[in-house]
Amino acid sequence: MSKLRPRHRGLPALAPFLWLAAFFLFPFVLVAKLSLSDIALAMPPYAPRLDLSKGLTGVATFLHGLDFDAYRHMVEDGVYAAAYLSSLKFATIGTGILLLVGYPMAYGMARCPPKVRQALLMMVVLPFWTSFLIRIYAWIAILKPEGLLNAALGWLGLPPIALMDNDPAVIIGLVYAYLPFMVLPLYSVLERQDESLLEAASDLGCTQFEAFWRVTFPMSLPGVAAGALLCFIPMVGEFVIPDLLGGSSTLMLGKTIWTEFFANRDWPAASAVAIILLATLIAPILIYQRQQAKLLDAQ
Amino acid sequence: MTTSSRLNIGAVRCTFAPWEDPAAKPLIRFEGVVKRFGDDVAVNGVSLDIYEKEFFALLGPSGCGKTTLMRMLAGFETPNEGRITLEGEDILAKPAHKRPVNMMFQSYALFPHLNVEQNIAFGLKDLPKDERNDRVLEMLALVRLEGLARRKPDQLSGGQRQRVALARAIAPRPRLLLLDEPLAALDKKLRDETQFELVALQERLGMTFMVVTHDQEEAMVMSTRVAVMDKGQIVQVGRPSEVYETPNSRYVADFIGEVNLFEAKVISADGVTMTLAGDNCPAGYAVREDDLLSPGAAVTLAVRPEKIQVSQDRPPAGANGMAGKVADIGYLGDWTTYLITVPGGMTVRAARANSARIVERPIDWDDEVWLSFSPDAAVVLTS
Repeated sequence: MSKLRPRHRGLPALAPFLWLAAFFLFPFVLVAKLSLSDIALAMPPYAPRLDLSKGLTGVATFLHGLDFDAYRHMVEDGVYAAAYLSSLKFATIGTGILLLVGYPMAYGMARCPPKVRQALLMMVVLPFWTSFLIRIYAWIAILKPEGLLNAALGWLGLPPIALMDNDPAVIIGLVYAYLPFMVLPLYSVLERQDESLLEAASDLGCTQFEAFWRVTFPMSLPGVAAGALLCFIPMVGEFVIPDLLGGSSTLMLGKTIWTEFFANRDWPAASAVAIILLATLIAPILIYQRQQAKLLDAQ
Repeated sequence: MTTSSRLNIGAVRCTFAPWEDPAAKPLIRFEGVVKRFGDDVAVNGVSLDIYEKEFFALLGPSGCGKTTLMRMLAGFETPNEGRITLEGEDILAKPAHKRPVNMMFQSYALFPHLNVEQNIAFGLKDLPKDERNDRVLEMLALVRLEGLARRKPDQLSGGQRQRVALARAIAPRPRLLLLDEPLAALDKKLRDETQFELVALQERLGMTFMVVTHDQEEAMVMSTRVAVMDKGQIVQVGRPSEVYETPNSRYVADFIGEVNLFEAKVISADGVTMTLAGDNCPAGYAVREDDLLSPGAAVTLAVRPEKIQVSQDRPPAGANGMAGKVADIGYLGDWTTYLITVPGGMTVRAARANSARIVERPIDWDDEVWLSFSPDAAVVLTS
């Protein structure tokens, strides 16, 4: 079949690779190199530095100076492992709640008449038109002790609740921020579902409820997987939400990286945390991509 | 259709005719069923009996209401008026999932996430496990898909998918199986084979089948009776041969098969033969007198192409001879169709079976020829 291929398709196909090399591979190599360096009292604050003016000896000295001290430090100090586990916990709880909230939303949208669907879809995407930071600040106004939520509770004669600067506040923020990323993939699989399959299920003796569990739900699993991974992966490394809504005891890797980098000026440690985060997320990212390929196949 | 049973219509004799037995109880009975969608009347007062073990066909153009009629039986639509009973019991009170009726969908509607086996077992959840497995194996053997039990629907050919859909619908042993355009998605050759297979299967299972189709050949080959529908109403119900040979209206005559329609006026009748006058036949038509018609009545003569003879020789008097000129010839292999322009200006379609390989005097374009048909070849239509 190779004969039938149009010629000169090599060059345009190269563009995404160049793009990836420039904006992903090169920064990644820089961060990886940083994670193998040591902290130093200099500007920038790490050593060794690559001195190309000394030729090959310079490269050799540089390579000799690289070590795994930053990683060793991470294993020895329990705070990193704690932050890591805590990030996974937040992402897992967030994803679970998102599924519980997002699935009924997506299902309801897919069952609406087409015109209403368009409007609802628009409303799901609408928050993206405002700055993410402003939307999170808006949540501060709602959740803070003397905020809108507690004012409403007081008006109803209920005791106030503490939902600011703590872990539940972070979960609320995560669920709010990532809801569209859960709803959209779920909606796209549910909306595509052939109506006649549900008729067939009911013809073969299923009540509406049974038809949902035996046909609609299993057929929507690729969407569930896509939505869950699309939310879980960025949530593990989330920084803005835990920083603004979380308390001082809220541990998340995004915050750890920021602290190491800006407060402690320990660039190698920050880089090592980032590399470990990336390494653990590669598995779910690969699973997500396979799911996407399957979804495209099914279309 | 008392006339038809007396006359031995068509070349088929079939003793299965519960609809002619006044003591027989219908399996399904529609009584004055009306279904409206907004201002559109999809089904307009249908009353119809379907008997046990029938292979009943609903035939009509798209939009005639045949699919709506079927979907009301399955429980996907509710009629606005009328009753539908199954063995005397009102089924409209039951939701779709409780009706002993299964449907094979036009799109097949196979569950893509389940394999062949699981698709067939889908409607058997109330059976004990052993019995369910036995039933699935039985169904796989019935539709000859034993080797493909673990395949997913997207790994099957169109014909195999059709058989899975059939097996899935038959597996719960419904009292009535509905087939919505069952062969529409198959190619011609496979369709021809499957038509006879479906009939053999239906006879073996002793099940009642009701098929909806727009393909008259499909309906004619498979069914015990055909109901021809138009604009939400049933125009004629009868055996395929009755509907073809004694259509009761221009619509039925025109919809099923090819037909030539000659306008004529009754001149006289003597109890056996009627004489009629018309533009295309200067000598006047001579046809069998089936109904009493008074002289002067305007009628339409419907004559099927294969019942019109084409000849280079002048036919004898009284054989409805018409002189004409060959306008076009269509050679189909088994048949040849001639389009012949007669003096009245009408183009008559005549068909001849090519029963001989070598023909002595073949007919050419623009030849002057004679057309003729016997007095009992024409159906006299008053509507």
